[in-house]
Amino acid sequence: MSNQANTDAATLPPLANRPLNIGSSMNDDASRLDALAKVTGAAKYGRDVHPANALYIAFVRCPFGAATLESCDVDAARAVPGVVEADVSKRQGNYHGATVGHVAADSPLSLRRGMAALACRWKRKGDVVTTIEQGIEAEPELPVDAKAMIEQAGDRTLDATYSTEVQTHSSLETHGACVDHKGDSAVVYVSTQGTSSARDGLDEALGLPASKFEVVCEYVGGGFGSKLNGAGKEGMLAARIAAKHKRSAYLFVNRAEEHLDTGNRPSSRTRVRVAFEADGTIKGGHIQTWGGVGPNRGGGGVNVPSGRYRLGQITTAHADISLNGGMPRAFRAPGHPQGAFAEELMLDEVAARCGLDPLALRLRLIKADAIREMAELGARLIGWDKRLVNGAQAGPIRRGMGMGVTSWGRFPSSVDAEVVVNRDGSVEARTGTQDIGTGQRTVVGIVTADAMGVPLEAVTVRIGRSTLPPGPGSGGSVTTVNSAPAFMEAGKAAATQVLELVAGRTGAPVNELTIAGGEVRRNGAKVMAWKDACALIPDTIIGKGRNTQKTVAADKTTGTSGGAQFVDLDVDVETGVVKVHRIVAVQACGRVVSRKLAESQVIGGVIQGLSYALFEHRLLDRQTGAMVNPNLEWYKIAGPKDMPLIEPVLWSKDKEAAGPRPLGEPPTIPTAGAIACAIYNAIGVPVRSLPITPDKVLAAMAGKGGAK
Amino acid sequence: MQSLGVSAAAASVAANAEATAKSGRAGGSDGDAPSVMGPNPIDLTLTVNGVKHAMKVEPCTTLLEALRLHAGLTGTKEICDRGSCGGCSVLIDGVLAVSCLMLAIDCAGASITTVEGLAKADGTLHPLQEAFIRHDALQCGYCTPGFLVAGAWLMASTPKPTLPQIQQAMAGNICRCGTYTNIFNAVLEATGQRPLIDGTIA
Ligand code: FES
Ligand code: FES
Repeated sequence: MSNQANTDAATLPPLANRPLNIGSSMNDDASRLDALAKVTGAAKYGRDVHPANALYIAFVRCPFGAATLESCDVDAARAVPGVVEADVSKRQGNYHGATVGHVAADSPLSLRRGMAALACRWKRKGDVVTTIEQGIEAEPELPVDAKAMIEQAGDRTLDATYSTEVQTHSSLETHGACVDHKGDSAVVYVSTQGTSSARDGLDEALGLPASKFEVVCEYVGGGFGSKLNGAGKEGMLAARIAAKHKRSAYLFVNRAEEHLDTGNRPSSRTRVRVAFEADGTIKGGHIQTWGGVGPNRGGGGVNVPSGRYRLGQITTAHADISLNGGMPRAFRAPGHPQGAFAEELMLDEVAARCGLDPLALRLRLIKADAIREMAELGARLIGWDKRLVNGAQAGPIRRGMGMGVTSWGRFPSSVDAEVVVNRDGSVEARTGTQDIGTGQRTVVGIVTADAMGVPLEAVTVRIGRSTLPPGPGSGGSVTTVNSAPAFMEAGKAAATQVLELVAGRTGAPVNELTIAGGEVRRNGAKVMAWKDACALIPDTIIGKGRNTQKTVAADKTTGTSGGAQFVDLDVDVETGVVKVHRIVAVQACGRVVSRKLAESQVIGGVIQGLSYALFEHRLLDRQTGAMVNPNLEWYKIAGPKDMPLIEPVLWSKDKEAAGPRPLGEPPTIPTAGAIACAIYNAIGVPVRSLPITPDKVLAAMAGKGGAK
Repeated sequence: MQSLGVSAAAASVAANAEATAKSGRAGGSDGDAPSVMGPNPIDLTLTVNGVKHAMKVEPCTTLLEALRLHAGLTGTKEICDRGSCGGCSVLIDGVLAVSCLMLAIDCAGASITTVEGLAKADGTLHPLQEAFIRHDALQCGYCTPGFLVAGAWLMASTPKPTLPQIQQAMAGNICRCGTYTNIFNAVLEATGQRPLIDGTIA
């Protein structure tokens, strides 16, 4: 799009009023309730809270993949003016960024000087493991059945290995907490995806009973899964130091630390050995996966086969490989984008071997009817009929198209919802969840307004405080699907109580009364203004709603969110540079609560997938295990000039439109795979390793990298 | 003594502020500035959004730290602290700059605009702020101040920017949530042009 020579994007018809989004949303036009605070700079994130007289804290960290701390001058650090505490308790580190101690000082500058005065001397310990390949002792044998199947299939087999690199969450607000200590009470500002759970353990660390402190998290600068661990070690240390010195304490990590030690999407390696028939039917085979995780094994799962396609009899095996690198954490659809990359590119390779169109093959293999319909719609919108066969082009710029599919199930989560109606007619919706950028605050407001029949402007949403009724953590795409039923119930309960008061006053039967257009009506005629109705409230009215694991199991209105994405791109085969021009993302999410916010979720998921496909790579030094790019200039994240035209299509139909379905995770799953397929289509050779950087494209073109 | 030296430095810095800002570099002042300043805190007055903020800062303090810690203006974000994300963008005498790469003392005498200063004093929003809200050009909102300042700077010089011009003006900004599409739409609309995408539910 930034390339003016590209006529495709320039000649596209405007999208306004194109019938893209099939279905209806609860609110098409609402803007985010916190948008004003965010565009004026008034929104206070945890990192923005600087209490007077606060102590500033930093961790002391291991600078190598594996090292022993030989010496460090704690006394010198303590002697620096302003330093109140320096403590180094551990001597070993087994990844770059592992914490071994901390320094606390009364200003950021004193803290920096104190850290420097430590003059830590580290000695590296022998070899480090920085790649999955290093940790694999031998390629595994095929299980007997798979072996027989593959031998029988002769030529019609595919043996391919796909790999992905570590992606860091890179939330723009780093991890941390600020404890505003007030003597016998405290307010703890945490950047977290779980306001309610962040309280756990803080009582002990703060030395205060739970009733004497509150966790506040009004705004969070991104999390993507990395901020699901309560107050985290950052919050715990800040709390302990605040308690010890009876002072406020501030600990937010810097950009380098954020890359090193706050989680990541682990790397992966997937070896696929499958047998297929001449018509592309996949008979089955064996898929072995590896995950490149931190020193403690775990968290490296690769979600392949995804279950979205009929792949015959597939057996699987998985192993985590311990690397001398930071530990993984859940990252927006953990295990899925890496699995989908392998699965989608594998399907394109099978299709090419059989001389089939990869869309036609997929339409046969996709299990869910809804996803098949979405794939057909997406193909029309991208103009799949203009797709050329793989590698059919000459010249320096080659065009490619690719596709991928997605799905996400509904995870249950408990939500306690409260809707308060005051005598002045104002409405408050309350739960202890948080808005990490998904728009949860707005979703709660829209659902409450809809349930009650009052305008959105009448509703104030209170979230982001641990003193509110317990709300869901932002993980697993659970917040909207599980809060919506709770706030529906709470809103209706509150409205009914108001209507009962009106019924009592006017003698009208309560079941004939409704709230709409700022008034209470009976059979469409005004009975009383909303304000007058609320003036009947003796004190306040509280409507309660609750979503539990049980109610979810019984709730048949929502289920899986499917989707299909299509990519149109160019590859410059002289430079290896990939330029994505368009991505069409058809995404189901059941009943849409807010059109604008839902589209944003889809666009954001696609952009993260694009960034994963083409750029992101945690680079560990082979000798030292140190991350060589713990910053934002060499750890490349997609920026404004990398953007294609992205067309989100919110798809909902029939019974699937009854209730909201999960949306945060599914749109980021298929993008990287679809991009890899489009590159294969353009250049005629598969690049089986993410990120697909120019060097890999050139190597593949030179005939070396394809089967890497 | 310290304070005296600093006033002289500040005056000299003020004289150079424009040149410094235009070159986009936090350059030292040549000429009559003392050769050594600090490390102790010195007096400094910054003019931010038309308001004078007097503070005592160590000379190595960046403009970003001065704004956030000493002027209490936390709309400007520290994201990378080394010039690669645009989150700390401000206007210095109307020119776009990343405040994490500038020394606060180099900005004495300059007129600094932060995200808090984009709206009028009576609260009327900048047209770009309005468009950001309408187009949902923000998710977590952490990158938003930087994009707004860069966009406002572009609009001041280019009344009808093309999409490539918008992308170029914002090339130094990163959004992790992935709001670029809506940001482009917001700038296009705020400059009276047709947005790229305006999906409607049919
Ligand atoms: S914080 Fe200044 S450019 Fe990133
Ligand atoms: S909105 Fe979250 S980083 Fe841009």
